[in-house]
Order: sequence, then C-alpha cells, then structure tokens
Amino acid sequence: MVPLATRNLLAEKGRFAMSVAGVAFAVLLVLVVVSLYRGWSDVGRFYEKLPGDFWLSQPATSDPYHSSSFVPVADGQLAAQVEGVGTVIPVYTRHIAFDRRGTTLDVFTMALDTKRGPYALQPGQIDIDRVLAADAGVGVGDRLDLLGRPFRVVRVHSGGNSIFQTAFLSARDGRELVGVPGRVSFLLVGLKPGADAAAVSRRLHEALPALEVHTSREFADSFAGRVNAGFLAVVGVLVGIGFVVGGAVIALTTYTATVERSREFGVLKAIGASGKFLYGIVLRQSLVVGAAGAALGVAASAAVANLVKRDVPEFITVLTLRDAVAVFVLALATAVVASYVPVRRIERIDPAEVFRP
Amino acid sequence: MTDGTLLRAEGLTKVFGSGHTAVRAVAGVDLAVAAGELVLIMGPSGSGKTTLLSMLGGLLRPSEGRITIGDVVITALPRRELTRIRRDSIGFVFQTFNLLESLDALENVEIALNVSGVKGGEAERRARALLVDAGLEARLRFRATKLSGGERQRVAIARALANEPHLLLADEPTANLDSHHGLEVMRVLRDLATRHDKAAVVVSHDPRLEEIADRVLQLEDGRLRPETVRRPVAAGR
Repeated sequence: MVPLATRNLLAEKGRFAMSVAGVAFAVLLVLVVVSLYRGWSDVGRFYEKLPGDFWLSQPATSDPYHSSSFVPVADGQLAAQVEGVGTVIPVYTRHIAFDRRGTTLDVFTMALDTKRGPYALQPGQIDIDRVLAADAGVGVGDRLDLLGRPFRVVRVHSGGNSIFQTAFLSARDGRELVGVPGRVSFLLVGLKPGADAAAVSRRLHEALPALEVHTSREFADSFAGRVNAGFLAVVGVLVGIGFVVGGAVIALTTYTATVERSREFGVLKAIGASGKFLYGIVLRQSLVVGAAGAALGVAASAAVANLVKRDVPEFITVLTLRDAVAVFVLALATAVVASYVPVRRIERIDPAEVFRP
Repeated sequence: MTDGTLLRAEGLTKVFGSGHTAVRAVAGVDLAVAAGELVLIMGPSGSGKTTLLSMLGGLLRPSEGRITIGDVVITALPRRELTRIRRDSIGFVFQTFNLLESLDALENVEIALNVSGVKGGEAERRARALLVDAGLEARLRFRATKLSGGERQRVAIARALANEPHLLLADEPTANLDSHHGLEVMRVLRDLATRHDKAAVVVSHDPRLEEIADRVLQLEDGRLRPETVRRPVAAGR
C-alpha cells in the first residue's frame, strides 16, 4: 500500500513537527495533571508504612491528618489483652504552625510511643520529611523550633508535598505537645504473626466498643477520598481541556492537509477510489499525528515527572504505565474523532473538478 | 454491445442552472466509439468538450440522454457503482497530469492499483512494468515534481492503464507539453488504441492530434457538427 497519508503529512515537515508538538503538549498537560493527582491521592499510603495494622480512634474519625482523636491511655492495655494482638503503640498527633525565616509553615507531627525502630526518637529529636527540610532550610544536625521548643533534626525522610508535611517526634515530646493528660490520639495495633485480621478486628470492637477500629488501608483510602473530593473536578476539567486541545490540533492538521490536497483527493475519486479508501487515508493521517504526538507527550511526561521528583519534591508525581497507556489510547481515539471534519470535506469534493486546469 | 462499439452516447445533454439562467453546455450529442478506435473531439474553449468528457467518464450526470460502456448503461447507476466503473473500465488522462505530488512515479501508478485492491509486491510489479513500458525505467523513484512535463504525462498514462480499462478518456493531453513531448504522448495514445485495443476519446485544441486520430469530431456550442472528419483507421499510425 502506498503510504500516501504519511507522505502528505511529511510533505510539510515544519507543520507536521508543530502538529506533533501540539499534540505532545496536550498529552503532557494531561499526564502531568494525572500524575500530580495520583501523587496527591497516594499521600495517605504513608499510614500503611507505619508499624501497625489497626488504628483505634474516637468515633467519627476519617484519618489522623484530617481528624483529631483522643483515646484513653488505659484502652491501650485493654487492646493489648485481645487475642491476636501483638503490639499496641500509643500515637500522638498534632498540626503545628510555626514561623521560619518570616514564613509560616505547617507540619503534621506524629509521635509513636515505641522503643524500637526508626520512630523511637529521644526527647528533643525530630525526623522531618524532605519537603519540610527544604521549606524550612534545615538539614540533619540543624535546630528547628516548634512552639518555642528547640528540636535537633536527626533524620530527613523522603516524602512530603505541597499540602502535607510530616515530622516525627519522641513520645514524650508528642505527649507534651498534645497536652491532654491520660489521653493519646490513636492506638496503633499490630497483629501477632499468623493472626486472623478479621477476627482480631471483631474482638477489638467487642473489647473496646467506644472506639472505632480502622485498618491503615481505610485511613489511606479516606485520605485519597478527601483529595478526590477536592481535586477530581479540577483534574477532570484540565484533562478534558488537554484532549480538546489535542483533538483540535489533530483535526486542524488533518483538515489543512486534506484541503491543500483536495485536488489530489478529487483525482483519486475520479480514478475510482471508494469512500472507504479515501477516509482511510485521512484516518491514517490523523492517527499518525495522534500517535507521534502521544508518544512524544508520554516520553516528555516521564522526563518531566523525573525532573519534578528531583527538583520540586513538594509536587509529588506518580506516572503509571497504566495511565500512560490509557492516555495514549485516548489520544488515538481523539485522532479518530478528529478525522471526522476532514472526512466531511472529502465527501464534498467533486471529482469532475479534476478536468479543470 | 455486439457491433464492436465500446462506448455509446445517445442524446447526451447537460444543462447547468435553471430558468432564464440555464446554460446548455452539451446538447443532444450522439457518439459511438469502437474498441481500437481513437476519436478526437475538437472545439473552441467553452464548446462543452470537458463537460462531454466528464459525462462520458461518469464524473458528471447528464441532464438527459444515455451512456453505455460495454453492456452497462452508466447513466442509471448509483454513485457507488459509477465509482466501480471508473475504477475498472475507464482510464483518465488530464491536461495538468494530476499526479500526486508527494509520491514518486512508481507510487503514482501503484496507488491506482491500490484503489482497485491490488496491494504490496503485486501492485509494485505491475506499476513497474507499466512505467518500464513507458520508457521511464530510470525515473521510477523520481518525485512527480522532479519529472519533465512529458515524463509526467507518461506516468499519468501509465496510471490510467493500471487497471486495464477498456476506455481511455484524455483531456488536452498535449496542452502543457512542448512539441517533442507532445509527439511522444500522441504516439503512446495511438499505440494504446491500436495495440491494446482500447477505445480512446481525446478532447483537444491541438491540431497535431488529428494525425493520430481515427475520427475527428468538431464540437460547437455543445453540439457535434454534422460534418465529421473521418480518417481511415490506419492514418497517422
């Protein structure tokens, strides 16, 4: 088969390059927005990395970041006696706003009352995330003051973003900052090896009927739900704009290439080309622009996602293969739709015109 | 048709517009062309030559009259069937060549085969043979824009022959060519009618074409003049 579609497109290399770039920018816009959305949605996965399986909280708690909770310390002892429970870690949480070099920063502090692991800190020590470290301009060994208390940065962990920055404190500091005697914010319960999670959850409900039992996954999902509620509409609009822009670029390019060569399409009609044959040429033109632009856009998105991850950590981007494939396929579908206008143009070409000089 | 007539037009009329602005471009033309015959239709600009050719080629529907190609009355056919007839039975040669500029000579012929469903190696082999036959072996991969006028017209003729049509319709095939290339194209057309037994209708201003025509008809104001110049078929060969 003679590759007329690509020849027509490549006959104007500059225009073809600009069209591909236009589609690539549209795809880049879509994928960057989607990857930012994914990144924000995944922020709550942080709960799943903490050393526990269940969270005991006051009723009507969505997740530690979005809700306050006060649980009697004594409930920790009751929870520890439940069959299948291996560990119970009291957790203190509090949002703290503080001034740093003339800027007000917010941090979500957590303190896990544990003797082992990376969260077992000494009084006066603080473990902050990368974004907070960058915003506050501090590193390991530096001093950071919260509520008039001096803390020494002992670790900078990965994570953090423009809306959610975390710091870990010692249990004593956490308790003092929360300042409610006899209460902790949450109880983080770990299962014994081999314990049946559903059965333990049921027993915790029975033993502590005044508390709610959440899995870490539920908290993560709840967090993602909050993000979705706030951002999904915006993301939808931006993604929609991206596809409209991409589709318009493809339609305009294919339409122009078709109009410029209407006489040639007329010649093909005159020599007996069927509608299917002619529409196939237009469709291939659209698909070539769409596929080349989408491929370039996906590659550019991957590069941008890596750059953002390295240089602007507060913008968490998660570019998944699934999203990239979905956007690529949607770009091709947009190309098919965009070929409608030039196809209509071809329908109107009168083959008898080819006899006119 | 049993009398050897390949193309027959009866009472062919084309009126553009209506009412007092109506223009009768072709008025009651009767014409019969046999296989192996080359008919030249001459006439001044605006005499209706191109309109007549467009109707004979199934590109324009007549207002009245009937056209038969082989055994098929094409004036009664729906658009899709007309497209098939143009693809399978008619070869077109245009004044301005009408080659596809983004394609090379070989591809310009190949695409006519693609149109009729011949693809890949088979299409390339047949296109190559036609162009070699037209003396363009050394120009196969030249873009249409890089060919001389005569070469372009020979490519256009090869394209017209790609699907082995019975009828060849040529509109001013020598108009954009110098005398040397014009003669070349004339020889090719003559050869096609004689050697390949095709019926050919050529409309032109070019009096040189009279040398190769079996019959020369004059079209004036949309009517074929009764005084038709008839030449022996061997004349000019």
